[in-house]
Amino acid sequence: MDREAIPSSLVQFAKLDTLIDLARANSLWPMTFGLACCAIEMMCTGGSRYDISRFGAEVFRPSPRQSDVMIVAGTVNKKLELAVKTLYDQMPEPKWVIAMGNCAISGGPFKLPCNYNVVEGTDLLFPVDVYIPGCPPRPEALLEGIMALEEKITGTRRWPRVEAA
Amino acid sequence: MNLPRQRYEETFVLNLGPQHPATHGVLRIKVTMDGEYVIKAEPVLGYIHRMHEKIAEQGNFAQFMPYTARMDYLHALAFNHGYCLVVERAAGIEVPERAEYIRVITVELNRIASHLLWWAAFLLDLGGFTPLLYAFDDREQILDLLERTTGSRLTYCYFRFGGVCNDIDDEFISGTRTFIDRLRKRLPVMYHSLVTGNIILIKRIKDIGIISTEQCRRYGASGPVARGSGIDFDVRKHEPYSIYPELDFDIPVYNEGDSMARYMVRMDEIEQSLRIIEQALDKLPDGPIMAKVPKNLRPEAGTCYAAVETARGSLGHRLLCNGDRNPYRLKLRSPTFSNLSLFAEVAEGMMIADVLAFLGSLDLVIPEIDR
Amino acid sequence: MEATNKLHTTLLTLFGSLNEGAEDATAQNDNDATEARVATIPLDYSRSGANLEQHCRPEQLRTAAELLNTQHFLLESITGVDWPEKNQFEVLYDFIHYAVPQYRVLLRCTVSRDEAIVPSLCSIFSAADWHEREVYDLFGILFDGHPNLIRILLPEDADFYPLRKDYMP
Repeated sequence: MDREAIPSSLVQFAKLDTLIDLARANSLWPMTFGLACCAIEMMCTGGSRYDISRFGAEVFRPSPRQSDVMIVAGTVNKKLELAVKTLYDQMPEPKWVIAMGNCAISGGPFKLPCNYNVVEGTDLLFPVDVYIPGCPPRPEALLEGIMALEEKITGTRRWPRVEAA
Repeated sequence: MNLPRQRYEETFVLNLGPQHPATHGVLRIKVTMDGEYVIKAEPVLGYIHRMHEKIAEQGNFAQFMPYTARMDYLHALAFNHGYCLVVERAAGIEVPERAEYIRVITVELNRIASHLLWWAAFLLDLGGFTPLLYAFDDREQILDLLERTTGSRLTYCYFRFGGVCNDIDDEFISGTRTFIDRLRKRLPVMYHSLVTGNIILIKRIKDIGIISTEQCRRYGASGPVARGSGIDFDVRKHEPYSIYPELDFDIPVYNEGDSMARYMVRMDEIEQSLRIIEQALDKLPDGPIMAKVPKNLRPEAGTCYAAVETARGSLGHRLLCNGDRNPYRLKLRSPTFSNLSLFAEVAEGMMIADVLAFLGSLDLVIPEIDR
Repeated sequence: MEATNKLHTTLLTLFGSLNEGAEDATAQNDNDATEARVATIPLDYSRSGANLEQHCRPEQLRTAAELLNTQHFLLESITGVDWPEKNQFEVLYDFIHYAVPQYRVLLRCTVSRDEAIVPSLCSIFSAADWHEREVYDLFGILFDGHPNLIRILLPEDADFYPLRKDYMP
């Protein structure tokens, strides 16, 4: 949408867009797509200690049609490939994908010469927005990934990045 | 159960999974249904088959250790233990006593964590969300303790051939004792009086999914599935390993064979695990935590089997060596694989809501089935 | 201990008579070099995790399994092994008993790699259903008499047997 072409005396888009992006970023509804070990860390993030609910993302929807973000937590298989693609296609726009864990990023510990069954990375199937490394990543890492996604959507970070000491 | 007679065209096939809200993993069940009743249920596996047995043959014995935790990540230390046990048996390695005690303490802590997560997920399937928050709180305490010693929260690679890689310190011991007291106080109040005695839960799981003793034997069931059907079978007493013979604990056995029996078996096992940990902490000796083991292990040619008791049943490793640095063939006998195989027979004639309660009571971890 | 010893002696007797019956058959048909010997070998449990190892030929497999079924054993696991240098596949069956502690029976059966057909134990032990499907899936060994021998772990349209030693993707 070319904002310069629309005379600013007529309509102003900027603020509402920002508001909508802010609303989207703070109410990401993930789809329950826990495949393997990373799913348990995702559940821990939803628990009371790490509390993903603070960021508005505790409403894990079982149905792809009701979710905004698909957190691929675990290894994707050649047998599951088609199902994952179908689920991604069923999600309505705007949609985002978080690849959680080494298996979802690149096949993880299963990226070996003898690999006959593991898809080496979900980005071979559909575009991924945020990559969270770890095997499995700590719940704090998943929260950082949610915040990185928020930054991608809104352009600003909720909390300043922690500098290494 | 007498099903109303239906022509085939009036039934329909429902696909449960591979993506479904029950947190078991990627299991697909093709259910042929007549209204609410299940006529035929057929589990389809393989959606998380990650070639563990092939990977075992490619690297040497030590290189497979991290993969053992990825199969059943909820009781990963028991899988570590099973693999160590079979290799130590094949190579004739003796483990020092302190290491055995540390192994048992950490495995039993992990067993409690696994049962707590099963409890939370089971009730989540039945529709209760709150128990998940309470169970995860207790589970986080265990994970803190284990993280100090092993370095990981979930997929542990802590055991080594001949012992463990890191020693436990006084803070771990005092933390564990505090945790035992804490959980002992919470079990009757929060877990039992709030949930176990709840009339809704009882109505949902009593007399659901009755498995007979003969069915258990025919399908090779083990663990709480067998113990809920009246079979007194626990590998820790049946084929004792490590220091279990020196510890005093009971095996809970219930005879009804329904989901309530399996539920009670697991809740009682939490209490028994607390007993085991307490005794092991009291008897903990000093000494080395690792035996002297050659860097490149080459067990002599032959075949060896070792079984351990995980939270889900009897895990077996069959190892075939041929004198090489790599295992020639490592077969992992997964308890849930055998437990799930009786699902098709038992689920016939059940209502779909009861099928989910039954599935939850079997305590499935799908990556362990698919390996 | 008593129950274990009693069971051990019973099995040695039963398998002994099974072996004798097999050796009569061998006398008629001894030009097949790949036929494994028929033998019953007691083992040391603490070294190998099993108490008794029974080598049998494919045609005696069902009789041996029925013997174990009458003694109330349960089928714990079925393992397939590829021995390419001998051009053989081997199938190992593990049996345990709920009531008799520390007792495991290992049944071993070898077939040629070119004609890998083993009788199925599905009608005797229902556990064999899924275990045999898995061995078929990973090795390509066919089980004669299995009601539903299709792949269980790999996709249905896969055309390779991954755990064979000569397979590398």
